Amino acid sequence: MYSDLLSALPNVFAFANFAAVIIGVIAGIVVGAMPGLSDTMAISVLVPFTFGLEPLVALGLMAGIYNGAMYGGAIPAVLLRIPGTPAAVATTFDGYPMAQKGEGGFALQVAVVSSAIGGIASAFALMLLAPPLSKVTLLFGPSEVFWVAVFGLASIIFLLGGNPIKGLISACFGVFVSVVGSDPIYGNDRFTFGALELLDGINIVILLVGLYALPPVIDLLETPLKTDGVTGSKLGTQSMWKAMPRMKGFWKTWLRGSFIGIWIGILPGAGGSMAAFMSYNEARRGSKTPDTWGNGEPEGVAAAETANNADTASALIPALTLGIPGTAVAAVMLGGLLVHGLQPGPMLFRENPDVVFGFMWQFLFGAILLIFLGGSLATNSFARLLNLPRPLLGSVIIVLMLIGVYSIHGRMFDVYMMLGFGAIGWIMDKLKFPLPPVVLGLILGSFAEENLRLALRIGRGDWGVLFQNTTSLILVALTVAVVIGPILKRRLFDAKAKA
Amino acid sequence: MHKFVKTAAAIGALVLAAGAAQAEYPEKPIEVIVGYSAGGGTDVMARTTMPFIEKYLGEGTSIVVKNMPGASGQIGITEVAGSDADGYTLGTFNLPGMMARTLDREAGYDRDSFTYLANVVNDPNVIVTSKDSGIETVEDLIAAAKENPFAITVGMSSLGGDDHFLLIKLQKLTETDFTIVPFKGSAPARTAVMGGHVAVGIFNVSEIAKFQGELNVLGIAQAERSDFAPEVATFREQGLDLINGSMRGVVAPAGLPEDVAAKLRDAFEKAAQDPEFIKAMTDTANPVEVVTGEDFRALTDGLFDLAKETWETTPWN
Repeated sequence: MYSDLLSALPNVFAFANFAAVIIGVIAGIVVGAMPGLSDTMAISVLVPFTFGLEPLVALGLMAGIYNGAMYGGAIPAVLLRIPGTPAAVATTFDGYPMAQKGEGGFALQVAVVSSAIGGIASAFALMLLAPPLSKVTLLFGPSEVFWVAVFGLASIIFLLGGNPIKGLISACFGVFVSVVGSDPIYGNDRFTFGALELLDGINIVILLVGLYALPPVIDLLETPLKTDGVTGSKLGTQSMWKAMPRMKGFWKTWLRGSFIGIWIGILPGAGGSMAAFMSYNEARRGSKTPDTWGNGEPEGVAAAETANNADTASALIPALTLGIPGTAVAAVMLGGLLVHGLQPGPMLFRENPDVVFGFMWQFLFGAILLIFLGGSLATNSFARLLNLPRPLLGSVIIVLMLIGVYSIHGRMFDVYMMLGFGAIGWIMDKLKFPLPPVVLGLILGSFAEENLRLALRIGRGDWGVLFQNTTSLILVALTVAVVIGPILKRRLFDAKAKA
Repeated sequence: MHKFVKTAAAIGALVLAAGAAQAEYPEKPIEVIVGYSAGGGTDVMARTTMPFIEKYLGEGTSIVVKNMPGASGQIGITEVAGSDADGYTLGTFNLPGMMARTLDREAGYDRDSFTYLANVVNDPNVIVTSKDSGIETVEDLIAAAKENPFAITVGMSSLGGDDHFLLIKLQKLTETDFTIVPFKGSAPARTAVMGGHVAVGIFNVSEIAKFQGELNVLGIAQAERSDFAPEVATFREQGLDLINGSMRGVVAPAGLPEDVAAKLRDAFEKAAQDPEFIKAMTDTANPVEVVTGEDFRALTDGLFDLAKETWETTPWN
């Protein structure tokens, strides 16, 4: 197998194949940086065109876009507090406060280096460990996956911020949104009011764009004269040589983020946003100065961005070996592979080694290229955008949002829905309800429901099925620890303070 | 008088236009609506097939595939049903799903909303078991189910699809009962069988062709063995009269002019004889079985009746 890996390498450097990766990364950064346009969408648009392309050109473009977009999403997240992709939500926590402190440039440099490191780690996992890791995926049946979702939901507790009640209400709202559509087992309509457009549920991008992009834009337009936002001069850009030494303490966070991202990637369905949230939480828990988190801690940006890139290539492990995509993007990519006659399965690696291993190399190079293409060049050009007069900037973002949401299914219905969520998001923002739990609630709510119901069907109604094996029990223990841990810690702390 | 001239001119123009359509169809790009996302099974079928249809409709023909995903293909097919029957809007059609959806929910179309052009893909069902289930033959399966009714879990891609109908047929035929576990799509279901989380799985042969080493494949629900898994015996060979599968074809709105329909059907029939077409379809996991016109309609009627009977006796929601 490893000799196949090496023999696939020369072809990757063929001009067209390598150019495809470069173009892909640039396109990915741009798409990721535009609120409303997502990597899933960019690759979906690309798939029909790939019928006429050589396999490695098509796949190189996809690998590049995927890697680029996962970083690109960080740019508006840092500069405007608008996550460019669902996976960049956690990047706003510390990225935006950094930008407000005049460290936006450094935040983006941290983001690009961390993204590249996560992507490289993930590509190596895909290249070297795909077959053994796919065995890990097999351990996760419906009851185990249910516990993963519960664990993710429990970790929302860390995202609640100051007011747990408000956080819980936000999370419940997200879970409620996940209920809309046909139910996962019987296909009964829930809250669809007869609208076919709601049958498949509410697309995460519609919710994200509405909740996250509209309120800041309204703010932008509300205060036209108050130009104290992040301007180019205040971005605090510095050369990468100066920035790198400031990151030398991040290796633990990078390692942890890569591990978490790879792990979430090989589990079916959860995807980049959960990886970023979990990595952020874990990094904050491990930090000596947890109080600085949320107020512009560069390590927070590193944690989120490492993890959301580390699940890119690893999401392809179950996709290539088992046919189950770990993320929405991986699902679209599977289609792109099928177009070229590459059918997923254990045979794939033997039948088409040149293309499959070539594709993996492209993932690796895509991640490495991020540093060069996403570094100062992209950062500076996007930062210029922020020097635009605010009404113009706001209008440009609104247009992008409308185009992006419309193009998901090509219908106005989604645009109206996005505007509705925008209104809700604006109100929530004013009332200081946290928004991240909504996103996680939507993603994990349907995930938890579907797998709980499948597990109970397998157990024929017996709840014992949820506690039947070691994997489940470990996940239960982790969940309990995540919920009880902070409470115990606080008790202990209080007791010490009294004594 | 003036009015008469106008009317005459209009009729003349219409006749001319109709004449032109007869002589030159297609004179503008044809749109094929796919009710699923780009890169999905049905989309790949459409995009692989259409270049060959372009070829056989004659030089200068252009076919554009348009994705209208949502509601398990219903949004797309409803759009097709409501389009002009001029031969410039066609759509992909999945069986038995499209018919089952007219039963289990309110649909904006029915059997008579379409002109049936050609079914292109027939992907027969297979029954598989996990390696550690201890079930290696059809006899094992039936014996185990009889011994302990409902104890055996069967993973499949959804309720009300071809997988489900195969199980209903099997249960009736062998007087057994299984517990259905409907996953969201066949890949997660297949993974659950491989991981031993469910004992049995029902899939289409194209879905397990690349996984034969990791699963026990008990049989295939087709009259003849499949090129996708030639070692797998048919159920008929094993004494069970089970025939079932998933089909994907192309329809036009009802009332398509006969000459246009004939031209399109002819193109599909010619494509079916083209070895390049068969290879392209096999590479993209599509077992080809082209059935056109009346036969396609009869196929649809048969599957509708099966779905209706199943729905009435054992509704799935």
